[in-house]
Amino acid sequence: MRSRLAPVLVALVVGGSAVAGANARSTATPPLTIYAAASLTDVFRTFDPAQNFSFAGSNALETQIRNGAPADIFASAAPLNTQRLFRAGLVDKPVTFTANRLALIVPKSNPAGIRSVYDLRSKPVKLVVAAPAVPVGGYTITVLRKLGLSSVLTKVVSRESDVRAVTGKVALGQADAGFVYVTDARAVSDQVTVVRVPAWAQPRVRYEIAVVSRSTSKTAAQAWIRAILSARGQTALRNAGFLPIPKSST
Amino acid sequence: MTAGSVRRGMNRRRFLIATAGATGVAAVASPWSPRASAATDDDLAYANFGLASSFLLADFYGRALQAGRLGPAARPALRQGRTSSNLQARAVTDVLTGAGDTPATVEDFTFEWPTTALATAAATRQTGLTVLRAVLGAYQGAAATVTETSFRVLFASLAASVAEQVGALALPGTGVESFPVALDLEAASTALEAYLG
Repeated sequence: MRSRLAPVLVALVVGGSAVAGANARSTATPPLTIYAAASLTDVFRTFDPAQNFSFAGSNALETQIRNGAPADIFASAAPLNTQRLFRAGLVDKPVTFTANRLALIVPKSNPAGIRSVYDLRSKPVKLVVAAPAVPVGGYTITVLRKLGLSSVLTKVVSRESDVRAVTGKVALGQADAGFVYVTDARAVSDQVTVVRVPAWAQPRVRYEIAVVSRSTSKTAAQAWIRAILSARGQTALRNAGFLPIPKSST
Repeated sequence: MTAGSVRRGMNRRRFLIATAGATGVAAVASPWSPRASAATDDDLAYANFGLASSFLLADFYGRALQAGRLGPAARPALRQGRTSSNLQARAVTDVLTGAGDTPATVEDFTFEWPTTALATAAATRQTGLTVLRAVLGAYQGAAATVTETSFRVLFASLAASVAEQVGALALPGTGVESFPVALDLEAASTALEAYLG
């Protein structure tokens, strides 16, 4: 009996400590290095401030991991980035852990008078978007295509490297409008007004997370992913405005 | 919408034949799947809206059946409405796929029905007619706007079907409009915003 219980107890201790570590890791346990999409900045830092995070556009993070950056976990705003690394053997099998929606934001002063996404077509607008390789940039192209508004891409004055840069430019009034995630819009709700993107034009925004294959802290990394998938992790994401894991992804 | 008209309604095969006739080409595998380059942004936008609307209508009919407020006499019409909506969703999915788009699936939506929407027979009718008239307006707008022939034929067919559904759901003598208003996408989208989530 003792020999049967031993592995179970070890697993419980390891798993339990890693999940507990999502709040405050023991000083004896080195923090994980988590590469995560810029849109996860606030929620991941709040969920587990004890880890080392690197936030950027998922495409940039993918390139860094491909080039040997010492990450333990990769959390991407699009399956494309994690799946490419998985096919290259650079991350373990990714799982979907949350979802999101797009919104159009305008500065509170709204100098271009944007009240609907369709105003982008009829009004002179300085539009800021993310670069096409960045997930939110790709999603923006999808939204505009679904709305029949691809022509407004001619009004783009700046293509940013991640969603935070788009949000910042609009919040500071350096652009008339920009497409960001709903969660990013919430973070600057005192500086911007959100213009709704219709549900029927929304892209399928799915976030995936995976352990980086060359991580030297795989057990802890797996436990951290279990923590973000747990009820507590999902509640933290929901509280930040993210959507639950879509049924089609489970 | 009688049982007879249901049986003679537009199914996938009939639509293929009708489309082939309208476009003057032989009935080949999938004449409603245009080349990716043929569909314009506007064509695709109406199709994406139509797909979401079809899912929404199927959801409405399902809930109306479950709620049972309209009584047993209305069940055949509700069932047929649900069947038509599901078939129409498949048809629109096909044209979007044929145009190189990635169509949404019903799992991509979380429809929202106010608690009073199906609380009584009158509320159920009113909710259904509100949705149907917005969708009908959009399909009329689409039929007049889109440039790709197979899209236009499809939207005209969808408009006719939705108009029949209006007649089936309205109280006798109340569902007839001489000139239903065509809507642009923005207006139709706004009309359904409360339900599409």
